[in-house]
Amino acid sequence: MEEGRGRLGQAHRARQVAAAAGLLALTLARVPAARTAFPAAHFRFVDVAARAGLTRVLEAGRPGKDHLLDSAGAGAAFLDFDKDGRLDVYLVNGWRLEGERVAERGRNALYHQRADGTFEDVTDRAGVAGEGEWGSGAYVADYDNDGWPDILVTAFGRNVLYRNLGDGRFENVAARVGIEAPGWNTGAAFFDADGDGWLDLYVAQYVDCTLEDVLKAKRTLWWKGLEQVAYGPFGLKGAPDHFFRNEKGRFVEATEAAGLKDLALGFGFAVRAADFDDDGRPDLYVANDSDPNYLYRNEGNGRFKEIGVTSFSAFDGNGMAQASMGLAYGDADGDGIPDLFVTNFSEDFATLYKGLGHAFFEDASKTTGIGPLTFRPLKWGTALADFDNDGDLDLVVANGHIYPQIDGHPEAIGTYRQKNLLLENRLRRDDVPAGAKPETLFRDATAEAGPGFTLERSHRGLAVGDFDNDGRLDILITALDSPPELLHNEGAAGSWLTVVCEVPGGTAIPIGTRVTVTAGGRTMEQDIAAGDSYLSTHDPRPHFGLGGAETADEVVVRWPDGTRSVRKNVRARQFLVVKKGT
Amino acid sequence: MKRPAMRWTVMVAAAAALLVPEAARAQAPPPATPREMVAAYEALADTILGANKAEVKLVHAILAATYGHAQGEVARARQALKANDAAAARAALENVATAVGQIGTEGDNAVAGVRKRLLQGGHHANAEGERQGIYDDGYVVVTKAAKQAFLDSSKALAMLAREPKAEALDAEWKKVEAAWAKHIAPAK
Repeated sequence: MEEGRGRLGQAHRARQVAAAAGLLALTLARVPAARTAFPAAHFRFVDVAARAGLTRVLEAGRPGKDHLLDSAGAGAAFLDFDKDGRLDVYLVNGWRLEGERVAERGRNALYHQRADGTFEDVTDRAGVAGEGEWGSGAYVADYDNDGWPDILVTAFGRNVLYRNLGDGRFENVAARVGIEAPGWNTGAAFFDADGDGWLDLYVAQYVDCTLEDVLKAKRTLWWKGLEQVAYGPFGLKGAPDHFFRNEKGRFVEATEAAGLKDLALGFGFAVRAADFDDDGRPDLYVANDSDPNYLYRNEGNGRFKEIGVTSFSAFDGNGMAQASMGLAYGDADGDGIPDLFVTNFSEDFATLYKGLGHAFFEDASKTTGIGPLTFRPLKWGTALADFDNDGDLDLVVANGHIYPQIDGHPEAIGTYRQKNLLLENRLRRDDVPAGAKPETLFRDATAEAGPGFTLERSHRGLAVGDFDNDGRLDILITALDSPPELLHNEGAAGSWLTVVCEVPGGTAIPIGTRVTVTAGGRTMEQDIAAGDSYLSTHDPRPHFGLGGAETADEVVVRWPDGTRSVRKNVRARQFLVVKKGT
Repeated sequence: MKRPAMRWTVMVAAAAALLVPEAARAQAPPPATPREMVAAYEALADTILGANKAEVKLVHAILAATYGHAQGEVARARQALKANDAAAARAALENVATAVGQIGTEGDNAVAGVRKRLLQGGHHANAEGERQGIYDDGYVVVTKAAKQAFLDSSKALAMLAREPKAEALDAEWKKVEAAWAKHIAPAK
């Protein structure tokens, strides 16, 4: 978490920008005429967390945030742990410190959603309070293929793996299956690296430090010569990431054997597995704080090669490593090739790596408007999701600084507590004539996004899901020393289709499955992942905005084993269940 | 203009005299640092300064080895292209791209790990250059300008590996050679 280091304005950069602008113009010129007519202010989000019963305060170290652990925060997950068709919520908690003393070990919370849309705290009944660890992230996957979603809680300390027993209770099996990995564990991703049908696991680690280091930490880093703030991560030792191969429900440490050894000891945060080169095998992206990001290409047979530099996804367009926190994956510019969006520190832009195909990327932050729109806040959890169902992916970013001390100098870069950001994708908007080139692909829609986007906190984790099954995506956001926010989407929205992928007799969540929907003259794709955003897990049901189309011409589900399920002429505005093998 | 300075000197001397303990003022001035200690410090200084020079040489050697590897892979790619062996050309070109990228980042991830350790210990090979924005943190030889040149070529070569062409390879490799000659080859 280092001060912003990105630099714009170099001569070659200008050439890159010009080239990217050309590409963008070409992309936009291919956009079909079908666009969605909305009023200018059509987003509306309302925080219903307290009303719905999501009240657990998420502890975060000391008020002064003397150590980076105090301000790293924790994540959240949408999941349906009892398979009743309604999304439940899992929140990860940290500890509260008073000086050099542990004042309270925060308890994680599992909230079961009732039929009326409110939530019931079932943490104790389920046995998922977090085992007293200082929690980081929540990742939901069916690691043992028993048909029930399990929960991985990464932690500063030992990871916890809650195996779902199928009767509303869980048991911690992390030690038994071999993934405790003591250290400062952060981002993680479940994915089937070797195609054997069992989900393997990558866990990023951040800084190599002990609890004593945390408790005795003093603020020694001068911030703009004005305040002393928490030290690091520059000057601290990075901790190595881990890769565990799943051998029928038990994990084997295989980091080096898989070619995933964290040689640079990057300060690891967010992790995302996806098929970046479209060869049918899941690759892996790791966002590092202040270090170059990694892109591990799956070479087959469970072996990986790090290609961050040659793929141009390690640095920003100026060749600078950024202080990366969170990430999102999706086709932002509608060209059929997924892009990567990475959130970074304040006074540095978030980076949109435009996918060029074959796992090549190009920094399109400036040409898409994302650069200037994201420069000031400190950015964490994020998602590319269609919040107005107009057929393109908008961006939401959770913001919040790590130094409370900046509140003494709000004129410098703002305040510790920050508003979140909603960027509207203008690809399908009717205020941009078809074939015309808009000034930028994204515009800031935060001010018109309703009361949910006026909340100022030091936000961190973010998960997107349709918790009330109304066809509009809602947002779950965590914040330091605060209860979560559940932003209910009450905006005007177009038509939609949500695809529920099921494997009869198999895994509860077919991670790695790719769903392609063709409707209204355009084709969109989403995948199912566990590991995304910042320390969080989204709703596992791929959601598609269809704009004005009331029928999807085709829905194609590509299962991880390469088989396909195809549906034609699908009615919109429904949760379409597609079972593997049908 | 001299008068105020003199006045300050007198005031500082007087203040210093007041601050020096009575016993110390009564004694002789402190003895000179023992010659052995000074000599040991001199030797240590030689070692530290020598280590800095050795660091520069070692990093140059790392870069030269990487560049040599890239040259070898370029030759391999050219041979493969002549033989119409697209798969071999692709593999060689990807290796060239990786090597050129590693020159830009002043070594691979393993070297980055060492660099990080040095930074953790407070060692900056080009502290002044970093302050001026010429070098990335901890970089010894490769300037930001050089880094960008090699990274651009690395990407171009990696993309070229998708569809290898001899002329395009030659053109891009010339850029690499030029960047090498301009930024790295002149040994420090």
